[in-house]
Amino acid sequence: MEEDVVVGGNAGLSRVLERILHSTIGLKAVMALTGLALVGFAFVHMAGHLQMFQGPAAYNHYAHMLQSLGGIKWAIRLGLLAACVLHAVAAFKLSMRNAKARPVAYAKQKWLVASIGARLMRPSGAIILFFILYHLLHFTALLVGTAGFVDVPFEQDGVAMVNVYQHMIVSFQNPLITVGYAVSVALLGVHLSHGIQSSLQTLGALNSTYRPFVKQLGPLLSGLLVAGFVAVPVAILARVIH
Amino acid sequence: MSSNHMNLKLKIWRQKNIAAPGGLVDIDAPGISPDMSFLEMLDTVNERLQEKGEEPIAFDHDCREGICGMCSLVIDGRPHGKEDRTTTCQLHMRKYADGDTITIEPWRASAFPVIRDLVVDRGAFDRIMASGGFVSVRTGGAPDANAVPISKHEADASMDAAQCIGCGACVAACKNASAMLFVGAKVSQYAHLPQGQPERNKRALAMVAQMDKEGFGACTNLQECEAACPKGISVRVIAEMNRDFLRASLLGAE
Ligand code: FES
Repeated sequence: MEEDVVVGGNAGLSRVLERILHSTIGLKAVMALTGLALVGFAFVHMAGHLQMFQGPAAYNHYAHMLQSLGGIKWAIRLGLLAACVLHAVAAFKLSMRNAKARPVAYAKQKWLVASIGARLMRPSGAIILFFILYHLLHFTALLVGTAGFVDVPFEQDGVAMVNVYQHMIVSFQNPLITVGYAVSVALLGVHLSHGIQSSLQTLGALNSTYRPFVKQLGPLLSGLLVAGFVAVPVAILARVIH
Repeated sequence: MSSNHMNLKLKIWRQKNIAAPGGLVDIDAPGISPDMSFLEMLDTVNERLQEKGEEPIAFDHDCREGICGMCSLVIDGRPHGKEDRTTTCQLHMRKYADGDTITIEPWRASAFPVIRDLVVDRGAFDRIMASGGFVSVRTGGAPDANAVPISKHEADASMDAAQCIGCGACVAACKNASAMLFVGAKVSQYAHLPQGQPERNKRALAMVAQMDKEGFGACTNLQECEAACPKGISVRVIAEMNRDFLRASLLGAE
């Protein structure tokens, strides 16, 4: 072996991509970065929903503001789409590889320390993916579950806005939608209880000082996220929001 | 035979060769002393098999004192058996009770093919080591103590990683049959030493590439490997390897 040489130019760049996309650790890093980006989005999304507690004017204005972002809105949408696709494709590729690495199962296997969240990453991830698709068709594309949505715009100060507040109330008065939502969000919490710490470990961001702390922080943040998301439907069912 | 001897029932994986199909076979192990090691228990069983003119059970072993990494065996679903930080050769039969049924299987990974019964080919680890698990220096005479300036903290980190005996329990314990604890340990033991610096990028890249080539799975950070490791290697070595590999990759290092 000789000393390290750093190659520049296009050859160097294609080598960088090759190493990231064709190695286990590179693909894991892609999953970690996209995962963390999506966690960031989930927190913003959850905080936005909590404005339901401030009444129709505040919430509809917030939704209207997001819709009027124009190019920025589409940049964010494309970014989120890319993150979801990369996350799911990398997960699929790695899962295939992992299944091939252990072709014969043990007759007996004991779990030593792995948490429930860590063991359920694949099923929870798959269900979350279906939930996201349904959620987009429901509230964004208005293609499913729209029974009872009023088409009358919410008007204030001469501005006509989609009455998202009303959509939300009507939807969560449907027990089926509420239960499906609660289960999906709970699974998101289960997924992230492992996902947050796993991402940081994969990126090499954890050492012996931070690992024990992040091990507790991950589940705590996941719990906060679930509580924030579930607060709105619970409040609607309890008629605190109506 | 003293009264504290145990009668055990074994369910052991038997397989004629790498190509033959294998299966779990019931074998009785009567008259086992609690003072025996697990491997001595198997020796006793084998003696009896040979007396009956049957093929003894093939299993790996060498030092029998917990330092060489040759012994293996997944015992009742756990690599190296039920005792923490203990190799199979150091596990004693006093941990078991009369009448127990013990299931014994080989390491399971496509990168570790079963050669016979409980013996697997761990050559993949050798090839990973050959790809970069060394430093290219002229050693010359023995250097004076403390001639190389290195802090105790760094030296300890290197020595902790270097405790890995390369047994493969991490691969056996991992649901993805990932070798990242092993490779991480081997990357980390050099990364903490001045001698390891010149080839640091190259080492991480080469060893990870070889690890992937051998068909080991990818780590999902369940940390089962750390729990199963007879030497208690910490998953911090995986974070360190990832850091070295990602940095070297992003730099486009050669
Ligand atoms: S035989 Fe050497 S470590 Fe067990």
